[in-house]
Amino acid sequence: MMEKPTKEQIQAGLAVLKDLQDSKLLTHLNSCVHCGLCAESCLYYLTTGDENLIPAQKVDMVSSIYRRYCTLTGKVAPGLVNARKLDEATITEMVDKLYGACTMCGRCVKHCSIGVDIEYVIRAGREMLARMGYVPESLQATVDAALETGNNMAIADEDFLDTIEWMEEEMQDELEDPEAQIPINKKGVNVLYTLNPREPMFFPLSISAMAKIFHMAKESWTLSTNMYDVTNYAYFSGDPEHGKTIARRMLDEVHKVGANKLVLAECGHGARASRWEAPNYLQEKFPETVTSVEQIAQYLKDGRIKTDPALTAERVTLHDPCNLVRGGGVMKEQRYIMKHVASDFVEMTPHGMDNFCCGGGGGQLAMSEYNERRIKIAEIKAEQIRKTGAGIVVTPCHNCVDQLSQINHTYRLNVQIKTIAEVVADALLPEVGENPQPQP
Amino acid sequence: MHWYQWIALITAAICLAGFSYHFARLIRLGKPKDYAHPSGKPASGIAYSFTAGMNPVNKESAFLHLPTYAAGIIFHLASFAALVLFFVLLAGLTPGPGTSMVLAVVAFAGAMAGIAMLIKRMTDKKLKILSSPEDYLSNALVTLFQLMTGLVLLSESVYPAYLLVSAALFLYMPFGKLKHAIYFFAARYHLGLFYGRRNVWPPKA
Repeated sequence: MMEKPTKEQIQAGLAVLKDLQDSKLLTHLNSCVHCGLCAESCLYYLTTGDENLIPAQKVDMVSSIYRRYCTLTGKVAPGLVNARKLDEATITEMVDKLYGACTMCGRCVKHCSIGVDIEYVIRAGREMLARMGYVPESLQATVDAALETGNNMAIADEDFLDTIEWMEEEMQDELEDPEAQIPINKKGVNVLYTLNPREPMFFPLSISAMAKIFHMAKESWTLSTNMYDVTNYAYFSGDPEHGKTIARRMLDEVHKVGANKLVLAECGHGARASRWEAPNYLQEKFPETVTSVEQIAQYLKDGRIKTDPALTAERVTLHDPCNLVRGGGVMKEQRYIMKHVASDFVEMTPHGMDNFCCGGGGGQLAMSEYNERRIKIAEIKAEQIRKTGAGIVVTPCHNCVDQLSQINHTYRLNVQIKTIAEVVADALLPEVGENPQPQP
Repeated sequence: MHWYQWIALITAAICLAGFSYHFARLIRLGKPKDYAHPSGKPASGIAYSFTAGMNPVNKESAFLHLPTYAAGIIFHLASFAALVLFFVLLAGLTPGPGTSMVLAVVAFAGAMAGIAMLIKRMTDKKLKILSSPEDYLSNALVTLFQLMTGLVLLSESVYPAYLLVSAALFLYMPFGKLKHAIYFFAARYHLGLFYGRRNVWPPKA
């Protein structure tokens, strides 16, 4: 049980539901019929068998409070409609179910018999908890790091620049081209590229892989030391004000650099937060914003880079990040790329729109208090991977890379986990020629 | 008109007013403003949401639960037919014997489906935990309404009881979960709009 909420906290939480001006939230709070048929679409229920963790239960955490305070029936006969009071017991359960037992993968949404946007309701529930100050400390620490230092891993500028310099040297050696660069804070470029802070921290080779692709495509691009973090963990904590601050920094930096286009690093939630949510946090239009997956696919289509699938001998499979596919509609592009970089590519079952989350979404990787549950729910993904017989699992998301690396170890899958940029860089052919030919 | 006809008429008007309130509220709030550039076509997403998006082949909630799905479809189709029939009967119109028999079969099939779903709700552990008293009440009310619809088509003597059951249903409909009769369509619309803008729906080949 947590600290008893004050009246002010309760009012702050209820403000999300009272005087509702959002027809979408109003709709989804009133739509669930408690059929329970969403259970089998949720990896928490499938792996734990816990009936309390089915998606409808999570929706009901929020809608039961809505009924209690915002509907006539809930006010007159709360017992009849299970209208719950927002008190410490409810809050404790909300924190566990909405933060600790949901990756916000949205798989249940597509399969809901009614069409309830369960993920959207859970976001509203997380916003209530955020306004009351009940974001799990570990997740809030990640948001705070981004707010205070400009990146969620609190990487110092000096360390970041050292890593970039190191990667630049690696790239120059590999390409045998001393002119190959990782541009920093360059103005008037075509592309402002972002990173997931896990890259400079743990996976620097993915930076040089993408730099190699930009170099081969003869792209005019830059990284920025002021704002390179593609993530926005406020999307997961539920605090719109924090989300807004982080989104503002990103938009300001695009304008400052004078870039035509913002290219988002391989990060599912980062792509979603920057491409789809940031304009709504700020209530402003963004300049052209694409994911690096779309950008690489375009380079291949335009013939600006050329690859040889034979260079990747092992069987390759693809893990679809939920926020990129169900939350962002990017599904064909990664498959187009796979066709050009892997001679033996096999899909997982199910994949695409129906793919299962790796288990690390929704901020789960940042919330160490739910580690055991997070690894448990990954059973499904581990089994999916095992069945493909692949030696390489590619995923365009650093968050997924982290989770997949952990389940690779826990479930002894013996596979390599790579990003799209890494497999493309491995399959790149050195010369494209003067007149690039579009790829089929 | 008899007193029970008046009651049925008044409660139907209350129901209509309640639903109008919900509908007007949704219309007043309007479509959510989205500042992100769409990558797909919202109209195509909405069209898909109301057509192929509801195809049982595309939904685990349907193809993993075919008996429940089938019961649900029968229950809802029969409910819709019974609601239309209510106004026909209240207007004093009587279907012919053959039509009455067919409609009675539909109504009884709906009632059977309702009873099956009620039993499932009472016995399935997931549903028991999830259900509130009104989940049972709503199901029971609609099932009883269908049962009475079937009976009134076979025997006019139950007409007063049929209208009183209908009145109870109408009185409750706008206040409980049965208001999903309106919100279901809004939910499909919003989902189609969301997925359509993001180029998720219609799915790509």
